[in-house]
Amino acid sequence: MKRAFLGEFEEVVLLTVAVLDESAYGVTVTQEIEQKTGRAVGFSTVHTTLQRLEEKGYLSSRMSGATAERGGRRKRFFTVTTAGRKALVEVKHIREQLWGALPPQTLQLMGN
Amino acid sequence: MTPPRLADRLLHLFCAPDRLEEVQGDLHEEFQYQFRRVGARRARWRYWRDVLGFIRPFASRRKSKEYQKIIPFDMIQNYFKIAWRSLQRNRLLGFINVAGLSLGMACSLLIGLWVWDEFQVDKGLPDGDRLYLVRLTDGAYTSDILPGPLAEALKKDVPEVDKATKFTVWSNDFLLRAGNRFGKKVGLYASADFFDVFQYPVLQGNPGLAIQSPNAIVITRNVAQAFFGNSQAVGKTIQLNNEKYYRVGAVIENVPQNSSVQFDWIVNFSEAEEGWMKTWNNNAFRTYVKLKNGSTQAGAEARMAGLLPRYQTGATAKPILQRLGDVYLYGEYTNGKPTGGRIEYVRTFSLIALLILLVACVNFMNLATARSSLRAKEVGIRKVVGARRLSLIGQFMSESLLLNVFSAGLAVGLVQLMLPYVNPLVDKQLAIDFTAPLAWGSLLALIGVTSVIAGSYPALVLSVMQPARVLKGALSSTPTGAGFRKTLVVFQFSLSIFLIVGMLIIGRQMHYIRTKQLGLNRQDLLHVAVEGNLRPRMEAFRQELQRSDAIQAVTTTGELPIRIGSTGSLDWPGKDPKTDASVSTMKVGVDFTKTLGINLLAGRDFTAADTSNYLVNESAVKMMKLENPIGAEVTFQRGKGRIIGVMQDFHLSSFHEPIRPLVLSNYPKWTNYFLIKTQPGKTEEAIQVIEQTARQLNPGYPFDYHFVDEEYEKLYRSETLVNTLINYFGILAIFISCLGLFGLATFTAEQRTKEIGVRKVLGASVGGILVLLSKDFLKLVFVAILLASPVAWWAMHRWLQSFTYRIDIEWWMFALAGLLAVAIALLTVSFQSIKAALMNPVRSLRSE
Repeated sequence: MKRAFLGEFEEVVLLTVAVLDESAYGVTVTQEIEQKTGRAVGFSTVHTTLQRLEEKGYLSSRMSGATAERGGRRKRFFTVTTAGRKALVEVKHIREQLWGALPPQTLQLMGN
Repeated sequence: MTPPRLADRLLHLFCAPDRLEEVQGDLHEEFQYQFRRVGARRARWRYWRDVLGFIRPFASRRKSKEYQKIIPFDMIQNYFKIAWRSLQRNRLLGFINVAGLSLGMACSLLIGLWVWDEFQVDKGLPDGDRLYLVRLTDGAYTSDILPGPLAEALKKDVPEVDKATKFTVWSNDFLLRAGNRFGKKVGLYASADFFDVFQYPVLQGNPGLAIQSPNAIVITRNVAQAFFGNSQAVGKTIQLNNEKYYRVGAVIENVPQNSSVQFDWIVNFSEAEEGWMKTWNNNAFRTYVKLKNGSTQAGAEARMAGLLPRYQTGATAKPILQRLGDVYLYGEYTNGKPTGGRIEYVRTFSLIALLILLVACVNFMNLATARSSLRAKEVGIRKVVGARRLSLIGQFMSESLLLNVFSAGLAVGLVQLMLPYVNPLVDKQLAIDFTAPLAWGSLLALIGVTSVIAGSYPALVLSVMQPARVLKGALSSTPTGAGFRKTLVVFQFSLSIFLIVGMLIIGRQMHYIRTKQLGLNRQDLLHVAVEGNLRPRMEAFRQELQRSDAIQAVTTTGELPIRIGSTGSLDWPGKDPKTDASVSTMKVGVDFTKTLGINLLAGRDFTAADTSNYLVNESAVKMMKLENPIGAEVTFQRGKGRIIGVMQDFHLSSFHEPIRPLVLSNYPKWTNYFLIKTQPGKTEEAIQVIEQTARQLNPGYPFDYHFVDEEYEKLYRSETLVNTLINYFGILAIFISCLGLFGLATFTAEQRTKEIGVRKVLGASVGGILVLLSKDFLKLVFVAILLASPVAWWAMHRWLQSFTYRIDIEWWMFALAGLLAVAIALLTVSFQSIKAALMNPVRSLRSE
């Protein structure tokens, strides 16, 4: 099986979408990342990443939910696809393996 | 609070259209959030920063093409479905459209075939661009009937001339015999270069070589087939006129039907040559030359200009050339310059075909715009749902295309049905060649052009409608394009009136040609060829026939008194040496004036003894300014002699030509025809007598006879064609226009149902409503009459100018044409108006 490749920011965005469940779209994803990570992310960066993830098949989207403050424009809601979930699980799995392989003294040094 | 406009614009510019909605929506939402959080100034600043962030490749990248259909098939399918439904809903209009378009198309296809064929005449010969017909012009009078020695002189003296050939203007309808097969075939005596100039495809032998020999004959495939079947023809012998035997030297392909030179056999010119043919003052030959490669027509003509005076002292004429391919269509010369000819008919009919097609397109436009208020709702809905203008134009165009393709199919069918009837009319063998790409190309072009013309107006007008206004119902009360529609109706009727005037005037002129006293009587006049044993026994045959009481008189002539083309030079004592005394001439026998019913003003007819005496006509007497013409001395073809009779002027040729001075000589040797005047009502009997006598005296020949009347009709072949065609076209144009008018009337009557109902309730009479409904259409017809009359007058005046003897254009012709148009229009409209006027108002009003 082809190894799923996820960039660090891609992983964050994909996870955020998963966290937001049904209400993930450009604005919510950006604000969620800003709140959770405390780093300022560009609107355009998030959009690019969402689009790229959709092209990779990890996300699917549909248009709906126009509001007045959006000038009647619809939102593009994203949901994680099965392939996206698999990719996330795989990344998590790799991390856990790596964490698990960490020598105990190193782990202690990290303050855990 | 709104985000900065300029930034939004920038975003529109950079962002891919398919992402724009969500991106802009997100940005706006974020802006409102930031506005609440950090205030207007910083929110704006952030907005700008975010928008600028989108100026990068991903956002401007358009959605990849594979998701976009280049041709929206489902939409096109929908267009056709809607087109079909709207046809179904209004079958009458659909029928009118299809009928009009297919008739118009059939008509233009037929004309197209005819025009194409006209342009093919004399084309397709090898080296066609180097072949020229020679004419002589003295600056005023131009003729292609030339003296015999000219061909040789041209070849000898003009270095630009490569080959030159001549043949007699009359065709020789001779009896050919090979073994026990025989038949009459038309042939030519042509000089040796003939096959170098006219390089017809050769089937057997070498025609170029064969024609050099006085003992060889060249025949066409048809003749070879008829006489020798499928066996080798070359080397066999053919007997001409039961006299000399010729060896078949070559067989060539049949001469194409659309060639101006027609023959079945050719024999060397020397076989028919006579002393007078070698002189410069007798014109009886057509001469064609082939120029050398690289020589120009102007160069050759310049060299030829001084040729005639070298051979003929005092000659003022000079030879001029015309490319063979142009001769047929541009054969008319005035003052030594080509001034058109048949091409004018070709152009006129092309124009008429085009106009008729346009009339059919106009029907489509008219009915489409008239119904526009009905279709407007559909357009409105389509626009609301998101149709762009271009796709609406596409829709109406495809509707037009659908109808046009259907009509074109019908038109081709119609043409195939009509061709067998049209071909004899136009004396051609027209056919649609379905294997030729050209045929398909033209058909497609026809469909394309008519679709665009017919579809353009509705497409452009309907597609600009404002959906909001249309759906509110603002349009139903004011139909669009009413003015335009009126203009179109005026155009249709102008054309119809123009054609009616044409029909009337051409018809009158043809009637005038057929019934005017010619000065000679061609009723009950037969002609029989002088051939075989009839030549030596000419007088016996004549005497024998005259004994029958079914026959009034018999004479002999060199050519038929229908188109007297030969000319000769007349001399008389006291003649001013400077005057050009070229007169028309005919070689005749005894009893000429009696047989033809020509009125003798003075003197007597020829008798057998008058070997060097002459008969002249009034014009000749006028030319010679003779006080006492009888007995005056003149010198002509048969030498010095006396005038023995003066004939009243009679028409020598078609009505295009004035009556020229004429001198007749009694010259039995140059006789080709017996002219036989039968007793009125005893034609059958007379023909039997003639046939018996001919078989008795001339057993070797099949008996054949013709009526002079028929030959006379042939003089006006192109006029008759014009007459016939304009009649058909006129009727067709009127019919198509009426179809359109009928459709419009139906539509207006339908639209005004309520109005008529209200009027009737309030007491309007049926007559009043009829007037109301017809008035509008009649106005248009009157405008059409005003417009068409001057144009028709001008065109007809020009046409009549080509006749020396013609009718006058009178005002009543226009009045009649106008009256006809009004009557036809009224009749067309009345059907609908009466129906509408008689309708029970209760029915039309209750639905409210």
